[in-house]
Amino acid sequence: MNEDNVETSYFRRTSRWKSSVILLIIALVATVIVSLNVGYAQISFGNILAILGKQIPFLNGFIDSSFIEPKDALIILQIRLPRIIAGVIVGSALAASGVVYQGVFKNPMADSYILGVSAGAAVGASFAILFGIGFSFLGLRFVQIAAFMGALLAIFIVYNISRVGTRVPITNLLLCGIAVNFFLYSVVALMEVIAGNELKGIVLWLMGGFSSVLWSDIWAVVPFIVFGIAVSFLYARDLNLLALGEDTAQHLGVRVERVKQVLLVLASMVTGAAVSLSGLVGFVGLMVPHITRLVIGPDHRILLPTSTIVGAIFLVICDAIARVIATPFASTLELPMGIITMFAGAPFFIILFRKKKESYSL
Amino acid sequence: MLNVDGVECRYGSLKVLDDVSLSVKEGDFVGILGPNGSGKSTLLKSISRTLKPYRGTILLNKDDIYTLKSVEVAKQMAIVPQESSIGFSFAALDVVLMGRNPHMSRFQMESGKDMAIAKKAMTMTNTWQFAERPINELSGGEKQRVIIARALAQEPKILLLDEPLTHLDIVNQLEIMDLVKDLCVKEKMIVLAVFHDLNLAARYCTSAIMLKDGKIFSAGNIADILTSENIKSVFNVYAIVKKHLVTNSVFVIPMSPHKPHLTTRCAVHLICGAGTGTALMRILLEEGYTVTAGVLNVLDTDFETAEFLKIPVTTEAPFSPITELSYKANIDMIRKASIVVLTSVPFGHGNIQNLKAAKQALDIGVPTFVIDEVPIDERDFTHGIAKALLMELKNRGASFVKSTNELLSLLSVSQEKLSQITENPKKVLNHLKPEGKHQVGTAEG
Repeated sequence: MNEDNVETSYFRRTSRWKSSVILLIIALVATVIVSLNVGYAQISFGNILAILGKQIPFLNGFIDSSFIEPKDALIILQIRLPRIIAGVIVGSALAASGVVYQGVFKNPMADSYILGVSAGAAVGASFAILFGIGFSFLGLRFVQIAAFMGALLAIFIVYNISRVGTRVPITNLLLCGIAVNFFLYSVVALMEVIAGNELKGIVLWLMGGFSSVLWSDIWAVVPFIVFGIAVSFLYARDLNLLALGEDTAQHLGVRVERVKQVLLVLASMVTGAAVSLSGLVGFVGLMVPHITRLVIGPDHRILLPTSTIVGAIFLVICDAIARVIATPFASTLELPMGIITMFAGAPFFIILFRKKKESYSL
Repeated sequence: MLNVDGVECRYGSLKVLDDVSLSVKEGDFVGILGPNGSGKSTLLKSISRTLKPYRGTILLNKDDIYTLKSVEVAKQMAIVPQESSIGFSFAALDVVLMGRNPHMSRFQMESGKDMAIAKKAMTMTNTWQFAERPINELSGGEKQRVIIARALAQEPKILLLDEPLTHLDIVNQLEIMDLVKDLCVKEKMIVLAVFHDLNLAARYCTSAIMLKDGKIFSAGNIADILTSENIKSVFNVYAIVKKHLVTNSVFVIPMSPHKPHLTTRCAVHLICGAGTGTALMRILLEEGYTVTAGVLNVLDTDFETAEFLKIPVTTEAPFSPITELSYKANIDMIRKASIVVLTSVPFGHGNIQNLKAAKQALDIGVPTFVIDEVPIDERDFTHGIAKALLMELKNRGASFVKSTNELLSLLSVSQEKLSQITENPKKVLNHLKPEGKHQVGTAEG
């Protein structure tokens, strides 16, 4: 390596960050459009673009929509688009919170569910499915509200058990997270046992999916997720410094306890909101950060935004696959997306890991 | 300027630092010395804002560091920890650039100036050549040098080092310490370092504090602090402290911690010189033997050792042949000994008398051992007189051994060594016991 090139190659690398984010956003938009085409009803790309264009203010006057069947517009705008947008939101939420958790915990085994978020949400959702079905509040389904509340409650419990004075030691969080997870899943298991006809609903929710997502469900969680991810971005450099250890980070001017608390609360809120929308989608929060890190490197200033977009792309593709696989059987039955994320994601990760194994260290 | 005033630190209810005060000014290189658990690292922790003192204040240029923002402190103070585990495989350069964090605003990217500072720090620590390698793939020493570069990239006025050399080999230790010393002298940086190696401390520190049980035992000039007495009271270890003629700093040679002897053994008289008896003196003393030596010229290495170990010696003036007077004094000493040991000392006309003393020892009836490690031809500077005398010793029944170790095993220095003796061990041992001497004495009488 030519020594004089070290600085230039560093600056070249960081100056490429912007273009890689833009490229990924383009890829995301393309993925969304392609996956709008996927499904039981055949709708051409031209029609899809026309239907979408019609929704854009100022531009809609120039689009001739006379050839579009109202049924197709309904399928695209009220059935496919909501679930794809839900995929974008949930995928980015889980991936971003995964990066944050792995960074704060300095542990690549951490994922979005590490603090009991998933178990809390599962208890809430199972409870709602079991007892409160049909109930709704401000147009939101009770299942979603209960899942979000359960998630927040679980974090609140874990956080307060772990707290020592004003500090929240990472090891305490990990151990309490595990304990609370186990406890809450036993509650879920209990509800599954006593559930009769509702058992299938609980099981499907636990596996995650977007089969019946409505726009109102999405709008309910978007503010939490967008706010949470946006604020996390502000702390990207602090996450880098945390990798040096909490003491060193503090010596370098990071207000460690505060940063940790802000990030954990935000990431948990983001995860809870996402899970309330989709059910328990596995793999994304653990593996998307890994996969992105293998390609782009460990610097959180670029890892966090790229993981967020990659998570979105990944989940949109998985949802599309879920729909394609469902088609041959019946338009009503469909595979839970959680199965796809793990089934498709794990081999992909293993291939990438084997390729870059030599430069991969924890 | 750093002022620590009456600091008391506690872990729970356990007091680990008690009323520690210290004032450090620009250009000072202060060592923090003390045994494990004496509070060295705790002191660094409280200065580095990691452990808030229970009582007392720490002032950085008149500001209490616990009221300053951590970024403000980070601009002025850098800490090199004992060990760092770094999550994720950041490149070495990335880690060093993180040292620029306190000087950057939240949304700023590293500028060319930050890069130049990082490069300078890495060049100084000799790490620039692997700037792009992941830090977790570097060796322990390389990694620690990167961490030091990161600290220097902070451009601190105060550098705290917590046993920073644990992972470094000798060359690296000296290079890093030379670099830090240089910054201390030229840039007027304050350096505060925890040392386990007293010799490194002696060589680089201008002053030091010695901690014992959380309190300052002694503070001041490094040469005044590092004394045999202080080391004994704080570390409970005997140490030789001398000023080295080459480095012109004091150096410390710690001896094994003093163990109480289970048994008192017989008296051994050493005929040695030129350093051939030095190791033997210490080992025999540690094993519980009473040791005497002679005749030794004043300023001889063995003489200095004997003096340090407080061993009675028959002496002769420096660079002088052994006189009749000292020869006789030596014989008197030999009479009181149970055995005599003659080391592989070179013989010249000055000390040939010592060989005659060994012969007389046999005549008196004191068992005599001859360590015949170096062939006599190589150390006989008397044109054969010494060789002839040595042959005579053999004929008169002196026990010849091939090495110091062989002698030590004959003297049953340890149980493990005892088992290695094959030839009639019991007989030899009986012979050596204090009672054995009495038997010899009565036979003589």
